[in-house]
Amino acid sequence: MDGFGVTFAFWVLTGVTLVAALGVLLSRNLLHAVLFLILTFVGMAGYFVLLSADFLGMAQVLIYVGAIAVLVLFAVLLTPRAGRDNGETRMFLPALLLCGTLLAVILFVITDTNWAVSEEPATVSAAGLGEALLSRWVLPFELASVLLTVALVGSIMLVRSREEEAEDPR
Amino acid sequence: MPAFLITNNWYDFRDLGNLSGKLLDLLDDALPFGVVYVIAALLGFVASFVIFVLPSQLFVGVYGERKLIGRIQSRYGPNRVGPFGLLQPIADAIKLMQKEALTPTSADRALMYLAPIVFVAPCVLLFAVIPFGPNMVFADIPVAIVYFLAVSSIPVLTTFMAGWSHNNKYSLFGAMRVVAMTISYELPLVLGMLGVVLFTATLGLQSTVLWQKEMDIWLVFLQPLAFAIFFLGASAELNRTPTDIAEAESEIVAGYLTEYSGMKWGLFYGMDIGYAIAAAAFGVTVFLGGWTFFGLEKWVPPWLIFIGKTYLFYFLFIWTRGTLPRLRIDQLMTFAWKFMLPIALLNLVIVATERMFWVEEKADDSIVYAFALINIIAAAAAIYGWSRALGYRPENTPQKARLVSEAGGFVPVDAHGEGSK
Amino acid sequence: MSGIIKSEPFTLNIGPQHPSTHGVFRIKVKVDGERIVDAEMVMGYLHRAMEKLAEERTYTQNIPFTDRTDYLASMSNNLGYVLAVEKLAGIGVPDRGNAIRVIMAELQRIASHCMAVGAFTNDTGAWQTPVMWCFRERERVLDLFEMTSGARLTCNYMRIGGVAFDLPREFEPATRKLLADLPGFIDEIEGLLVGNEIFLARTRGVGMLSAETATNFSLSGPMLRGSGIAWDIRKADPYCGYEKYDFQIPIGYQGDAFDRFIVRLEEMRQSVKIVQQALDALPGGPHSTHVPLALRPPAGEAYARVEGPRGELGYYVVSDEGPSPYRFHIRPPSFINLSALKEMTVGGTVADAIVVLGSIDIVVGEIDR
Repeated sequence: MDGFGVTFAFWVLTGVTLVAALGVLLSRNLLHAVLFLILTFVGMAGYFVLLSADFLGMAQVLIYVGAIAVLVLFAVLLTPRAGRDNGETRMFLPALLLCGTLLAVILFVITDTNWAVSEEPATVSAAGLGEALLSRWVLPFELASVLLTVALVGSIMLVRSREEEAEDPR
Repeated sequence: MPAFLITNNWYDFRDLGNLSGKLLDLLDDALPFGVVYVIAALLGFVASFVIFVLPSQLFVGVYGERKLIGRIQSRYGPNRVGPFGLLQPIADAIKLMQKEALTPTSADRALMYLAPIVFVAPCVLLFAVIPFGPNMVFADIPVAIVYFLAVSSIPVLTTFMAGWSHNNKYSLFGAMRVVAMTISYELPLVLGMLGVVLFTATLGLQSTVLWQKEMDIWLVFLQPLAFAIFFLGASAELNRTPTDIAEAESEIVAGYLTEYSGMKWGLFYGMDIGYAIAAAAFGVTVFLGGWTFFGLEKWVPPWLIFIGKTYLFYFLFIWTRGTLPRLRIDQLMTFAWKFMLPIALLNLVIVATERMFWVEEKADDSIVYAFALINIIAAAAAIYGWSRALGYRPENTPQKARLVSEAGGFVPVDAHGEGSK
Repeated sequence: MSGIIKSEPFTLNIGPQHPSTHGVFRIKVKVDGERIVDAEMVMGYLHRAMEKLAEERTYTQNIPFTDRTDYLASMSNNLGYVLAVEKLAGIGVPDRGNAIRVIMAELQRIASHCMAVGAFTNDTGAWQTPVMWCFRERERVLDLFEMTSGARLTCNYMRIGGVAFDLPREFEPATRKLLADLPGFIDEIEGLLVGNEIFLARTRGVGMLSAETATNFSLSGPMLRGSGIAWDIRKADPYCGYEKYDFQIPIGYQGDAFDRFIVRLEEMRQSVKIVQQALDALPGGPHSTHVPLALRPPAGEAYARVEGPRGELGYYVVSDEGPSPYRFHIRPPSFINLSALKEMTVGGTVADAIVVLGSIDIVVGEIDR
């Protein structure tokens, strides 16, 4: 897999992803930020493809670009106009702290991991992925689905107020 | 590749993939390392897009659609420019290029210019995985079905960008409708495709075609529910007529395209057709046997069979556009969530059971015919039963107005005892 | 949509330039998402001061004005006006004139309902197919008008005391051929749309109007009949000898857009019946009485009403013995039917509002006059 093409693609993807990520941070327009975020997702998908994880790459595009980004856009649509400016807020300092901590943790993990290079080309096929998810990693998989269900129920409960149950506005 | 079918000789015109392969081999010898990869990509683009998609857009998408809809509406359709009006799409394109591309003052210029450009790219990408023949597929990747679904979800973002950027209320309505509808229809669409994938046990498009060829049955018979869901979901995502609420002409003027003019609009219009052709090609590949036709592909070039099927599938889109009114957004949502989603889930359960039986019992391959029969009956029963369960009562709909002979006051419905609600 | 998510309504202008306002008419709607919370009608974009202009012209010169109010039903408008003037001046009409008037008014109803049905289905999103089909039949009616009056749209055919010209010889066979074809066409449109689930979903239960509301807004025509009220001026207050013809009043069930649609379809069938009878019993004799060109009716006032395609079409004329009317006023059915728009649209979606507007079947020339 080593060759000019792969290296070239890697650097192009890195450039696109980093610029897009910077765009998310620096864009003053909330909608532009979301669109930059989507570009970042696409760049990530490109990395997956580069790593021969075709299925993951496509799933990344399908789920993040096709579904989650659309949901984020929906959230932007529902935000009142005042909130669309990506300006200073009270949350600036806490967010900075949180991101700094996250960055530190990730950097630590990256430097600490033993990146052993395997010789045989690793192929993550859809069948293999399914096998792994439903046999070895079945517990985390199920836990994740339970978590999502809880989140779903929770969001419905948040939206549904007590008065609304009493009298339906429609 | 099955040997009986296509020789690998470059002059075998039944598969143009051989010719281009030979060409690339020659170029690879002559040119420095790596250049041929770029040429291959260009060749693939030219072969699939410039030779197939663009003329299809012009002569099937624009001319054919206008002509056929003209006939449906009992008028002639284009018949002035060129023989039978065949040059009409070209005249249209020239007209569009001459038009002024207006930009509203309060528009988000960057997004407004970017949207048509971003709209074109995924359409080109979609055709990379479509198998036109045994060797005629540009990128036979093992996850082609997921690839197709993933790439085809990108234009939705573009339509949203387009709708948002104008700062126009009708455009915003269109954008909101697109976003809401996509969330709803992506789900049944993917679930429906899952049923197909369970049967064929492959995510590749070429292997799906070969599976159908090997089993000698098209997946539309095995998966009628999935086909119906695919057709409805695709027409929803493509904004074709029963579900074209995003650019509903009579309601929100032109939806997200309201402020576009000139070639910026033309790109959207042309690529909408391009996506529809891509969807037709995908539907043909997955459900209608792709380039195979029960042995005929040995004699007739498979790519001709494929193109013919694609155009026939596209005819379905034209037909629905010419004959059906448009649904309302809440009805579309209800349809997606309350009707299509449960049906798709049911389909998945049926398929999983059948597949398990097939594998566990090590049944003969001819069992697919039994499955087809079961699934067709199950599909009819499920659609009818579930719609009855949701309160569909066609017999209660009045067909004709009541008639009274004398002028007077209010006539209660029960007094006549007919067509009671 | 309420609850803890605060949504703020925003104003959407539907019109004056909009594909579905059937002319230059504007609705200012306040929407909360897709749902309409308030609707305000803005009209007057097509105002031509016809009622004032008519005070400066002679009685006969005013007939072309009436063509141009409801330009989709010029015959009915002509008829309403000449009936009012005849009532004012006490002029009788020969039997043949009356029969021709009935034929023309009913053909006009068919043509106008073709347009109404077609435009309405266009508003539901049926991409122009039904409207083209309806136009095809409407053209044939307009051909008959051209044959008799020389004009297709603004016919200017009725005269005080009768009609302008007698029927040409080729009129009767052409009309009989059309009458033979029309029931099939109406069945075709019915088959295309009444059994269509999407069409039913879009129109049933949309723009509901109870019988009480309909009468309170003094609606008329298919709007009123769609709400289940059997009221038709041709039956209740016959003119031009309508009492001689055998026909029935179609009425709806619950007063939604669909009911108005099927009422219109059925009215076309009834009109075919009436024209058939009128043609069969077409009396001979003169088609018009002689009326002096400079008509000076005795001082007084008169109100005459006809059942136009859109409802009660009334003309109110006051004379001060001068050559032109002292006061000229039209009761336009579109305008009064439109007044119930807010009642029907609030609570529905924007798409519903378009369907409701289509089901009212407005002609802006008549609303703004």
